[in-house]
Amino acid sequence: MSATNHQQGLSNKRKGEQQRNTGLGLAGLIRLATRFLWRDLRGGELKLLTLSLIMAVCSVTAIALFTDRLERALLNESANMLAADRVLSGRQQPPREWLQEAQQRGLQTGEFISFASMVFSDQGNILVSAKAVSPSYPLRGDLLVADEPFGASYISDAGPAPGTVWVESRVLPALAIEVGDPLYVGNATLTVAQVLVQEPDRQQGGMMENAGPRLLMNLEDVPATQIIQPGSRVSYRYLFAGEQQALNTFADWLDAQPENEYRLRDVREESEEVSEALDRAESFLMLGSLFAVTLAGLAIALTARRYSHRHFDHVAILKTLGLTASQINTMYGLLLGILWVVAVLTGSIAGWLIHEAILALLGSLMQVALPAASITPFFIGALTALLCLTAFALPPLWGLRSVSPLRVLRKDVAVDGSSQWLPYTAGVGGILALILWYSGDLYLTALIAIAVSLVFLVLALASYLLLKSGTASGMRAGSAWLLAKSALSRRSQQSVLQIMVFAVTFMSLLTLSLLRSDLISDWQAQLPEDTPNHFMMNITAAQLPGIESFYEQRNLEGNPFYPMMRAALLTVNGEPARRPWDDDEQPRNLTERAAEDSGAGTAAPASADESGQAATVNESGEVGDTESVRPVTRQVTWTSSLPPDNEVVAGQWWDEEARPGEVSVEQDYAERLGLSLGDELVFEIEGQRVTVNVSSFRTVRWDNMQPNFFFIFSPGSLEQFGATYLSTLLLEGEQKLMLNDMLRAFPTIVVLEVDAIIAQIQRIIFQVSSAIELIAALVLVSGALVLLACVNATLGERYRENAILRTLGASRQLILRAMLFEYAFIGAVSGMMATLGAEAALYFLQTQVFEQAFRLHIWVWLAGPVLGTAIIAGIGFAATRRVVNTSPLLVLRQLAD
Amino acid sequence: MTVMVEARQVGKSVKTHDAQLHILSDISLVIDKAESVAIVGASGSGKSTLLGLMAGLDQASEGEIWLAGELLNDMDEDARAKLRGQSVGFVFQSFQLLPSLTALENVMLPIELKQDPQARHKATQLLQRVGLADRLTHYPNQLSGGEQQRVAIARAFASEASILFADEPTGNLDTETGATVIELLFELNAEFSTTLILVTHDDRLAARCARTVRLSSGRIVGDSAKASPAENTGSVTEPGQESAQA
Repeated sequence: MSATNHQQGLSNKRKGEQQRNTGLGLAGLIRLATRFLWRDLRGGELKLLTLSLIMAVCSVTAIALFTDRLERALLNESANMLAADRVLSGRQQPPREWLQEAQQRGLQTGEFISFASMVFSDQGNILVSAKAVSPSYPLRGDLLVADEPFGASYISDAGPAPGTVWVESRVLPALAIEVGDPLYVGNATLTVAQVLVQEPDRQQGGMMENAGPRLLMNLEDVPATQIIQPGSRVSYRYLFAGEQQALNTFADWLDAQPENEYRLRDVREESEEVSEALDRAESFLMLGSLFAVTLAGLAIALTARRYSHRHFDHVAILKTLGLTASQINTMYGLLLGILWVVAVLTGSIAGWLIHEAILALLGSLMQVALPAASITPFFIGALTALLCLTAFALPPLWGLRSVSPLRVLRKDVAVDGSSQWLPYTAGVGGILALILWYSGDLYLTALIAIAVSLVFLVLALASYLLLKSGTASGMRAGSAWLLAKSALSRRSQQSVLQIMVFAVTFMSLLTLSLLRSDLISDWQAQLPEDTPNHFMMNITAAQLPGIESFYEQRNLEGNPFYPMMRAALLTVNGEPARRPWDDDEQPRNLTERAAEDSGAGTAAPASADESGQAATVNESGEVGDTESVRPVTRQVTWTSSLPPDNEVVAGQWWDEEARPGEVSVEQDYAERLGLSLGDELVFEIEGQRVTVNVSSFRTVRWDNMQPNFFFIFSPGSLEQFGATYLSTLLLEGEQKLMLNDMLRAFPTIVVLEVDAIIAQIQRIIFQVSSAIELIAALVLVSGALVLLACVNATLGERYRENAILRTLGASRQLILRAMLFEYAFIGAVSGMMATLGAEAALYFLQTQVFEQAFRLHIWVWLAGPVLGTAIIAGIGFAATRRVVNTSPLLVLRQLAD
Repeated sequence: MTVMVEARQVGKSVKTHDAQLHILSDISLVIDKAESVAIVGASGSGKSTLLGLMAGLDQASEGEIWLAGELLNDMDEDARAKLRGQSVGFVFQSFQLLPSLTALENVMLPIELKQDPQARHKATQLLQRVGLADRLTHYPNQLSGGEQQRVAIARAFASEASILFADEPTGNLDTETGATVIELLFELNAEFSTTLILVTHDDRLAARCARTVRLSSGRIVGDSAKASPAENTGSVTEPGQESAQA
């Protein structure tokens, strides 16, 4: 009986099982995976996937390495720029116990007081920015001194000893004294011991600290000067340096102190112009690496999908031979693992080389020694590759486990449908994870997720409708155009996917390159080569002709002189004016900071200065001291011509025959005040009321380091008041010595030297611009990989279709033209969508992330679709030429296998 | 005799848009050890489907299938894969060699699956046996159709399987090459005392087998060895079951 026979068969088999182990061990699977990998790499099936993965690792590693090293270099440099790692500053003296607390925590401490003051010799006087330092100053960086004015400099180990001062070269000729002579600071008589050439934190602090040449003195001597009185305009600064960890815990401790209004700051918070450029550059680099990785991920997903399709049959054979689903998974998992190792090794090396190339490019500009790279960027690269593989490559390969072995008999056996959506879900999840990881901003990630889903939905729907419009049955093999159209709508799902992939790729590339050029042109416009680097203030009307002829004699090119005075805004249309900002939100307007710090334009600066006392104006420049009804006080000017970098956005700028009684208001400020055109404003100037009407609103570039005003009056409105004038001047290199002559000729002028700040910003901007160019190029390569992957992904079907068409008698010409049409159409549609998407993305990025003004890029609206058409038609045509050049018999035979 | 394969009232149907399509109905068949059976019939008669079911590549909709003493109905795909790896060898019309592997590696694969350290040696010997000693390192796309099929035959015997399934093994070959391949297949079958189940519509090939089972429209319409129907269908078949499956 057969039942007995079966049992016998079973027991035979069990015996057999005891004799030999079943299944392929891990070593065998690794061998198999390696063979598959090697063969598929040589056969080209994995080439694109591997390249994309290497690209992802390479770009992320390069960017991470570069930013890591640059950041640490800048941190070092910035520590020098602060003369410490962190500083704490205020108009009031912070509690001294804080210094002791920091010392107990193992930090080095130092302190100084700075103030502007007139100093005297027996022959003359000069306004200096004095700085009284503790013996430990500076904690970071060096003091450079010389033994005689303009002499050779060397590093000094310690600051000025008690009873002595160091002054900048310029002071000595101005006071007609020499090193060793006495100098009067307030009530104290101090000896000039050295010439100060450079201090690390020269550019830090308010404008007051840069108003005039520096005088460095010992902190111990301050009481004897009797300069500092209640209400004096003095800045206190505590310096801290030490281990990062100790600094952080000390900062936390400080934050926890009751009623503490001070905060530890690092250089980023201290130098706004620099930190803004750096922040933008970092955002861009982050965005760049994100785009590069996303595009690489897209390419990986596309190639992995194609790879997994081509492996359906292999898996069916393996299963037929006895491999289980989990062994299949393990094998492909191992394959990806090996690929990961290869990509991480190759990508890391390539990334290192590229980052070295970036550094070499910037080498001459990098004035700081770069610290060695840390290991972190390599981890980031490796982790990115892992994430790419897990999110983009693993899901399609995971679907292989469900391939039926029956495929060895029948090719049409479907692959389990449940895994079809997994790759997409995982891919989108992967991209979001990357965004979250790189940006570290959940809100931003959520916002991008919503925006991207919307864009995708709209894109998919639009392209689907476009393709479905005018659908006809059959192949329409008569004309190339109809053939292309029918191919598009027959493969509508695939075509939609292609359009979306191309659109996203173009969109990324467009967004990044437009952002790049906008950023760079913005920066260049902010501080062009010939940006004036000295502010001259407190110029009287009587001095103007003299200064102009001074310029003429020395071939200096002057800039407009702006009359300046303080004006308090009392009412708007009869109502008391509201205060537009809380004090700590005050816009950092260089002009006002400068004017107020130097005391220029205030009611009684001269007398205060001449008495040797520091000027008595409080922090925000307010004149009154009654808290509740403090009116808004601003430095105002009048002029007939619109200052450069100002743009009238509403109303009209006055023409040649301007009437008195008009005012132009900065747009943002007007909004905060709730102003409309035609509003009547009443100002109080020198105790008199002035009534004007708002005639225009302007935008102003606050970051251009030039005179800027919230209120500009029409000529004739303010002439009756006594104004001082403000102007700017470009002095380069040796021209700087002319400052002494000028100050000797016009001793009451205050000169702010912003040349070092401007030079530093220009240098940093140049550095980051070059880095940005390179990163944009990397993203371009990733984009090209996606395009190739996407075109390749549909080649199989095209081979078959075109082989059939050609067998049936269609000419090569017809097929080529049809394919050209098809790709051109896909390219045009994706180019159009990419343009729309890029403008939308740019709007979001520029207004929300980069804080730039957004403007439409009209030329891109034409260039986008045209470029899309050309690129896709070109790539598609090149790739599919093979299709028609292969013999149809060969294609059909291969496909039958 | 030991029964190697048994089908008991096996049916296979698939769902189409509007109806249930019956590909196989009421198939009962017993194949003993070392028997050689040709399954013949016109295109669409269900030959390959039956082969797939008996080999455990697919699952029957009705009835039971025993393969090498195991009831396939109770097994999941992984268990069936293991059983195939142990007991079954295949030769296909389209060869089904792995393009990523060389001829030698293709033949080694089933031996390696059994963790046999002699894989390389045994595979080399088998390839020598099928006359491909000089083609060991060639990839499938570097071999002719006949050579590929010989590699496939070597692979089929490499696992020392007790049952060999062949699906139209000469379907993709010209007559002369086909004849050579068939010669080789039967020689090896005799040498290894394998049970051979072969699907073909080539009558000359069918005639080489000891037994011919003829299918038409998914049913067995003739069995040259059906001397004793009661024994072949097995004792477990109960009256009335047949009508229930119809």
